[in-house]
Amino acid sequence: MSVRASRSRRRRGGVEAGQRRFILGVTIPTVLYAAGLNVLSIVWAFALMFFEYSPGRGGGPILGLGGNNPFVGLAHFRNMIEGVTLEARLFHTSLKNTLIFAFAVLPLNLILTLPLAALIESVRGQLRSAFRAIYFLPAVTASVGVALMWGHMYHPQEGLLNAAIRTLGGSPVFWLSDPRLSFLGVSVAMWSVVIAYLWQDYGYNMVIFVAALQGIPKEFGEAAMIDGAGAWQAFRHVTIPLLRPTLLFVCVMTMLSSFQVFDIIQVMTNGGPRDQTRVLVLDIYLNAFRYQRMGWAAAASFVLLLVVMLVTVVQMRLLRTEWEY
Amino acid sequence: MAVAASQKTANDVRKTRKNPNPKRLGTRRDLEGLLVYVLLTLGLSMTLLPFFWMIFSALKTPTEMARIPPTFFPENPTLDNFETILHDPQLPLLRFYGNSLFVAVSNVISTLFTSSLLGYLFAKYEFRGKQALFGYFLLTMMIPGQVTMIPGYLILVKLHLINTLWGLILTSFLNAFGIFMMRQFIETIPDELLDAARIDGASEWQIYARVVVPQLGPALATLGTLTFMSNWNSYLWPMVVITEKERRTLPIILTWYSDQHGARPHMQMTATVMVVIPILLVYFFFQRWIVQGITMTGFK
Repeated sequence: MSVRASRSRRRRGGVEAGQRRFILGVTIPTVLYAAGLNVLSIVWAFALMFFEYSPGRGGGPILGLGGNNPFVGLAHFRNMIEGVTLEARLFHTSLKNTLIFAFAVLPLNLILTLPLAALIESVRGQLRSAFRAIYFLPAVTASVGVALMWGHMYHPQEGLLNAAIRTLGGSPVFWLSDPRLSFLGVSVAMWSVVIAYLWQDYGYNMVIFVAALQGIPKEFGEAAMIDGAGAWQAFRHVTIPLLRPTLLFVCVMTMLSSFQVFDIIQVMTNGGPRDQTRVLVLDIYLNAFRYQRMGWAAAASFVLLLVVMLVTVVQMRLLRTEWEY
Repeated sequence: MAVAASQKTANDVRKTRKNPNPKRLGTRRDLEGLLVYVLLTLGLSMTLLPFFWMIFSALKTPTEMARIPPTFFPENPTLDNFETILHDPQLPLLRFYGNSLFVAVSNVISTLFTSSLLGYLFAKYEFRGKQALFGYFLLTMMIPGQVTMIPGYLILVKLHLINTLWGLILTSFLNAFGIFMMRQFIETIPDELLDAARIDGASEWQIYARVVVPQLGPALATLGTLTFMSNWNSYLWPMVVITEKERRTLPIILTWYSDQHGARPHMQMTATVMVVIPILLVYFFFQRWIVQGITMTGFK
């Protein structure tokens, strides 16, 4: 008895030592890797924005900062606020365009995906999966592919859109390259990339909404309809409130990803015409890797980070209040 | 349509008692059902139109392409464009497929390994600093990639990994979304199962490999598919890391090719077909996992 007890105690001790070794064996490489790559990146990005840094110039001993890459303090940010220099004006344009893009995409996306999800959800059986699968196709397509496909749709001569316009007797439109065109105060080039982006992106939210709708018991809506509500009223007053957590999630994710839009715009317009579709990430990319102004680009990416965090917090508040009180 | 209608009859029967005019309700419901299908088909054609426009353009001859107004269906569909692209000495396509495949597969393997291991650690172990480490991963999820892109590039320059595919692989070992997803799954594995293995004398690594991982089939398939697709389609980061043409991945070579052939849209669309279609095939095979993954994590 005593022998068995001591053996099992020893074995338990052995297991605990083994667990400790396992934990250390996993966490130490993880922490080293994360510190060497991710943490260093974050710290470095934070440091860069206070310097006039270009990788071509030999700088100081620590991370190449200092020396020919002088410390400029908050000069980049002051510059951005004053908005006098060319780069600051481009930054303003980019920030404004990013906001326009995101605030155009979000409502349009919801108007498209929520009813679409409800329609798909109302279909039974195999057909529902088939619809869902096909509607999701654009979302798995490489965004560069999407950009080229839509660039071809919008093509002034060979494009499908202008072919349709010609058939109806109109004259061709230079969707992506005419800086004079605008609709509702936003340039047509911007609307064109917004539409391409919506087409690519709606599959995600559609899938999420379909799943959320499946989680809502049918009886709720049916009860409302028996009580005399129409389909729309039942949807508006029963389904939407139940979808609120999903709605919050979808809004935040859609906003965040549209603030980071790059691929489609870089390929379709590269920011043109006349910087009308120049967005923040494109501005950051061009500054960092074309003009080698990495200090400035780091400062701009910090603004992107602030905007992203601000939007997240505001949307959490906005959508939460109603069902907390 | 018929199936849907017959399934609805059960509900209709239940409601006839309440409704004074069941026949009218029936027709209204049929109309609504019809409207659903009309709308869905309309949306479907909007979804598929750019794909068809791309494929039809790739099948057209240059002369047909130059016609104004353009034709929709190719009059004499031909595979000549594909032949041209496959024999283009400027575009060793196989090499670029290889590059993309190498990066995507390596990153899938490393992501599945680290995510399941760290997910297991966070789900089943208590240790000092666990909350801090977990919080750190939460934080990295909120920081947009563009913020760390510039120093990431500078680090790769220092390591002499710029312009190599390894640069794309060594920087993507940890995936916060993957870790969270795996943790969520592994939490549902009963502790008794792990303890039983311990009593049988299994080491912690053996438990991970022989008890935990075999339970993760669907989760690994989901995470693997999502990781593969996001790597395959990735554009900005590979463009920053890789500048030499031979080492580029498919999306970057696609934009390069389309810039070279700006005046030949049929060739641009042919190249786009060659890049887009393989991933659509992957999608059709792994569709179930992708849909599951998105609904679980919202991860793009």
